Amino acid sequence: MAKNLAIISRELFYFSSVLLLAFIILEIIWPNIILSYFNLNYLWVFAVLTGFICLIKK
Amino acid sequence: MLKPFLRKWPFLFKFRLLLGLVLFILILSFLYLKVVPFGNITYSRDYVFGLRSGKGFIYGFTPAERVDLKSGDGPRMIGDPIYFSLFTPRTFDKAKLTITYRDNLGLDTPVIEAGVLADNIVWRYELKPIDNKALDYLMLRWHKSESNGYLFLQRNENYSNPAEWEKDLAQGRLKDCADGLEKCLVVYNFSPEYNYQITNYQPALPLVLDKPLRGAHQFYVYLKDETLRLEFSLVDLNQDLKPAPIDIILSSGNKIITSQTLADANLQPGSGKIEEKRVVLEQKKLPAGVYKVEVKITSDMVIKKIISSVDRLSFINKVWPISNEGPLTLYTDANYLQVKALNPASLQTLKFAGRDFGLTEAYKQFDFKTDSVAKNKEIKLAKDDVILENNGVFAWSPSSLFNPTLPKVDRFFSVNNQFDYIIADYKKPSEEEGIKTASAELNLKGAYRENGKYSFIISVPGLKTDDGTNDNLEIYKIKIELEGRTLWQKIWQ
Repeated sequence: MAKNLAIISRELFYFSSVLLLAFIILEIIWPNIILSYFNLNYLWVFAVLTGFICLIKK
Repeated sequence: MLKPFLRKWPFLFKFRLLLGLVLFILILSFLYLKVVPFGNITYSRDYVFGLRSGKGFIYGFTPAERVDLKSGDGPRMIGDPIYFSLFTPRTFDKAKLTITYRDNLGLDTPVIEAGVLADNIVWRYELKPIDNKALDYLMLRWHKSESNGYLFLQRNENYSNPAEWEKDLAQGRLKDCADGLEKCLVVYNFSPEYNYQITNYQPALPLVLDKPLRGAHQFYVYLKDETLRLEFSLVDLNQDLKPAPIDIILSSGNKIITSQTLADANLQPGSGKIEEKRVVLEQKKLPAGVYKVEVKITSDMVIKKIISSVDRLSFINKVWPISNEGPLTLYTDANYLQVKALNPASLQTLKFAGRDFGLTEAYKQFDFKTDSVAKNKEIKLAKDDVILENNGVFAWSPSSLFNPTLPKVDRFFSVNNQFDYIIADYKKPSEEEGIKTASAELNLKGAYRENGKYSFIISVPGLKTDDGTNDNLEIYKIKIELEGRTLWQKIWQ
């Protein structure tokens, strides 16, 4: 169970980091395309949180 | 078949595939919302129940001192006008603006309008009606008919159907209207095909206007089979950093006849060094009628002198004389005057239609009204550099003054006026438990857009923050339905 949680948190960390990076690139190319709909801070917090869990479980 | 196959895939692979798919769909969705391939999208902002994660598309109201965000359920507009901007990821051709609001306004502010910034040089908003209480009142009391989206109101039922009425109107005559259309017909958001003529017109004499005027101005000229020659001497004050292009447009009705454009290289921005410029506009053999001249310049420019071949010349709605010389006299046909001084040195007591009015504060707009029945009202200024505005025309001599436009159902219109007919492009707002909803269709083609944002205005003429009343317009929701070209039209057309 703990192993699965570690895998899931690691994968979610990768996913949220890649998504955050993609959104930032899209924002740089076309300003406000993401920020008008969605506050990227939430995604950043999610990425940090999953990254933190990942570190603990490791 | 597929199940056993999928079962063979390791958990990690399946999980990664799922997340990859989610990532792909999310990026694709935002790209779809950026491109708006079908050309239609709606943005809205609910000021009462709105929950949003992002910045949204409709930005807050400005200036802050004209909006009360604390007292009501929604923001309350307490001063006129207020602005908001709309971010769009691409350009659009049309917008349908829908406002849900509670009208806590008094009888002296019967009109609500909304619009979009059409020209940023002269700061012109294209305004459309939202609410007009004078029309709402007369719709219940006069004979009402509707045709082609237009509202026709008549005091007495002289016409049984709008088609008959439209036919007479096209010929410039209406029943019981012997003194001319301007005496019996009022319009709102509608310009009828109407050929204005000055009776007993004498051939024009040249006119020299050497009273400097600051910023953009518009004027009407009237002539009869004559050549129109207008020579403008302009001065770029170079007090700001922006370029000061000159655009002078001669038009008749909605048709542009000729125009002159002078670009500005902006070699001395902010230097304070004046640059003199000259533009000549000439058009031969113009048929009899009214022509409109638009001088589109920034307020960093001054029209120093106009030499005109015709002497019937009236400025439309606004003049800003700036000679900095002694007393100045001009004339208007309207019964009210809005005056604003941007310079404390221009504060004074001015005379309007024989009455004294005090201009006691800079940067504040003063409204002066007169009951005078005289056709032309005299304005005597002790000092100039004041902005004079109304819904009529201004001229430097009574002989130059003429107003070819029909009276409008504006905030100074009284339902007791002796008019017989009203034509309006107007729809009464829907109302439920005191909450009104109204829409305005706006043209976004050519509308000014900066950093992906269109600028909108909500106007309640006469609404003031400092008049001691609690009048306000409480806004609950704004919805903007946008329509533009589809992706396929953009690619192939």
